[in-house]
Amino acid sequence: MDEQTMTLENRRYLGWTLFAVAALFAWLLDYALRVHLRRAGLVTGLMLFAVVILLTLFNARKKLPFLPLLRASTWMQVHIYVGLLSCVLFLLHAGLKVPRGGLETGLAVLFYLVSASGVVGLAISRWLPSRMTILGENVIFERIPALRTAVRCDVEDMVVESVAKTQSSTIADFYELKLRNYFSRRCSFWHHIVGYGQPILQLLSEAQAVDRYLNAEERGIMTRIVEQIHVKNNLDFQQARQGLLKAWLFIHIPLTYSMILVAVVHGYLAWKLS
Amino acid sequence: MADDTQDINRPQRWDIPFQSELPEDLAIPMSEQDVERMLQIPLFRKMDASRFPKNTSLHDILLNDSRMRRFKAGDVIVRQGDYGNSAFIVLSGSARVILDKLGETSKERQETDRKSFFSALAQRWRNPRMPEVRNLRDRTSKHSYGETEFISRSEAVFVQDINVIVKDKKTVDLPAGELFGEIAALSRTARTTTVIAGADSEMLEIRWQGLREIRLRSPEFKEYIDKLYRDHSLKNHLRETAMFRHLDDPTLEIVAAATEFLTFGNFEWYASYSKIREATASERIQKEPVVAQEGHYPNGVYLVRSGFARLSEAYNNVERTVSYLGRGQIFGFEEAATNWKEKKDLPFQRSLRAVGYVDVLFVPTAILEQHVFPSLPASEFPPPYTRPVSRGWSPDSPDTKISTEMMEFIVEQRFINGTAAMIIDMDRCTRCDDCVRACAAAHDNNPRFLRHGPIEEGFMIANACMHCQDPVCMIGCPTGAIHRKSAHGHVVINDLTCIGCATCANSCPYSNIQMVTARNADGQPFYDKATNQPIQKAAKCDLCSTQITGPACANACPHDALVRMDMRSVDRLAQWMNKR
Repeated sequence: MDEQTMTLENRRYLGWTLFAVAALFAWLLDYALRVHLRRAGLVTGLMLFAVVILLTLFNARKKLPFLPLLRASTWMQVHIYVGLLSCVLFLLHAGLKVPRGGLETGLAVLFYLVSASGVVGLAISRWLPSRMTILGENVIFERIPALRTAVRCDVEDMVVESVAKTQSSTIADFYELKLRNYFSRRCSFWHHIVGYGQPILQLLSEAQAVDRYLNAEERGIMTRIVEQIHVKNNLDFQQARQGLLKAWLFIHIPLTYSMILVAVVHGYLAWKLS
Repeated sequence: MADDTQDINRPQRWDIPFQSELPEDLAIPMSEQDVERMLQIPLFRKMDASRFPKNTSLHDILLNDSRMRRFKAGDVIVRQGDYGNSAFIVLSGSARVILDKLGETSKERQETDRKSFFSALAQRWRNPRMPEVRNLRDRTSKHSYGETEFISRSEAVFVQDINVIVKDKKTVDLPAGELFGEIAALSRTARTTTVIAGADSEMLEIRWQGLREIRLRSPEFKEYIDKLYRDHSLKNHLRETAMFRHLDDPTLEIVAAATEFLTFGNFEWYASYSKIREATASERIQKEPVVAQEGHYPNGVYLVRSGFARLSEAYNNVERTVSYLGRGQIFGFEEAATNWKEKKDLPFQRSLRAVGYVDVLFVPTAILEQHVFPSLPASEFPPPYTRPVSRGWSPDSPDTKISTEMMEFIVEQRFINGTAAMIIDMDRCTRCDDCVRACAAAHDNNPRFLRHGPIEEGFMIANACMHCQDPVCMIGCPTGAIHRKSAHGHVVINDLTCIGCATCANSCPYSNIQMVTARNADGQPFYDKATNQPIQKAAKCDLCSTQITGPACANACPHDALVRMDMRSVDRLAQWMNKR
């Protein structure tokens, strides 16, 4: 059964099994070294460093899509389970105690941050896409600002149209008071991330409240504006969620490189001082 | 503002004649005398040259759209399973057609223009920084012909002992004056037979654009081609079908004689496709021509020759799509065979409708009962008929593991045409665009697809060339720049011969071909000297046919969200969709 035909459930079983075997091997090795009073810290440290380098190579693989270096999805699976293994190795290497010294503390903090950002990244990569597909219309991230501008222009045209056709400023007043800000900028980032719909509901409720002051022609224009409120809301929703899916890597990757640099210094000092 | 250094002449149809696409060791210069000699061949001599317009004269077609080829006895001229873009006329010697199958040869073959590991790696540094960079000034450079796939003499396949190979095979020798290869060339399908040189031979090879022009202008040639089409194609098709495989030649002749060629729908369906998409589902299905109607007497079986057909069944007041049929698939066999074997009176259980257009072969029940069923092996008969349970609503299509909605979606949007459709599982896709970046890295810094398209049940069919089974984009190309690679049938564009007319882009029903502006290394567009308009080129997914990795997009997806899928394989599609 190749990777293409293997079910995701079976792949998960395989990954966990290999991880458990590797973690058990690492623990037994560490235990054996400690029992025999060998330098277990050096061995687990080197293993941890090698594993971190392997994890970092995933990013290099992405830069070489035209080379036969296994599929990126295979790398991703390796990245996930080897990442977990690195946590086991870190615990074997450093234990649960707070490290002594600024460098070691900094290195430990970097490791925690890299690991945590990785776990968060994995979680949102699995959690957000399906909700984005169900809840909103799919749009390309880079096009969102242009689409938002187009929506704002359309709405402003409608507002001008309402004044010109009905000689009434009700819609224009409502736009100035409630909608200009909404259509001019990205709104409610965190609300869209957690799926909390209060702001849009409030805006729609306010639009509904204006309804009693509109005549038939204005009501038709207002209906079109409300449609654009939904369109804009979807753009904000997509930008917030797609943005988060991209942004976490801007934390994870720089922290990883920082950690590798500090780890090199840590390794050098440990070797020198031993 | 056009930079003077960027002004060039807009590429024209015959800037690069067909003969120039051959490797140097195979090229035979085509002179005026040669063309005059060709015009004396009986096939062309009968034609009325005045029917051809001045700018596309028969003389010019032969000069630019044909070329001379020489083969030694035993040389392979065309291979069964390969996709052909040309036909051959035997000038001297003979061509030997091997009627029996030689096995799946094309699948084992590698693309001839794949990069080596190191040249692939070098792309990291050698790729231009600007998108769509080309060297349009050096259009005559032989090095630029890397995309063409002609086998140079040193790499040519030569059958050492032809007598051993063909000893047990049925063969037919075509003498001088005969035409072959026209079916694959004109219908954009794979070669159905292998043809080798029976003796040291000289052939005239005509690319299909030339064939199309001649067929359009010369009624005699059209008649001749149609006759060949019927004579050659029909028996081959019947021989390939399981229910006729056991028949001896005389019986097959009887079946062939009784077989009717039927066409439903419009061959140029792509022209009206965008309008049809706007109609409702029930309107669309009502507009589809009915090939066979559920509940009617099964008066014969239908063999799909080309195109697609929707298999549907009545569900209350509407039709529910059950599956779809493509080339080589049969409709009505179960009913006709059950009626004969079990002495029943079973009508068609489902309806068959043309999706766009479909060519079918119709074999009447009377012929089947008299000549086919009595000698049909028991294993070929369908299992005993059992009345189906009531047709309630079912989330899954009855014949597949795909949901009914998904089946309706892929049939109505005509994605069934794709042999490498890009499907993205939107529940797994994180919109990271690694696929887009990988595509750009493999293609002139400009992705050859758009990660956008219709979504059904969380699956997006992205705007990427699907490498259609019936690539209608090829129909109007005046130069043959858009063509099928012979080994695997992938539809690719020869950038050198593309004149930027946008015919292919306008013909693609799925809007999967883009016109891009050609630029120099500094990113400056090239301009046409005459009109001062930018020089355009057609660009589309080529399935990374020159890359050693295969499609970079699918390889680059870290989340297993993207796949290139042959939509003819419903089982594989269902397996992938149900994987999550």
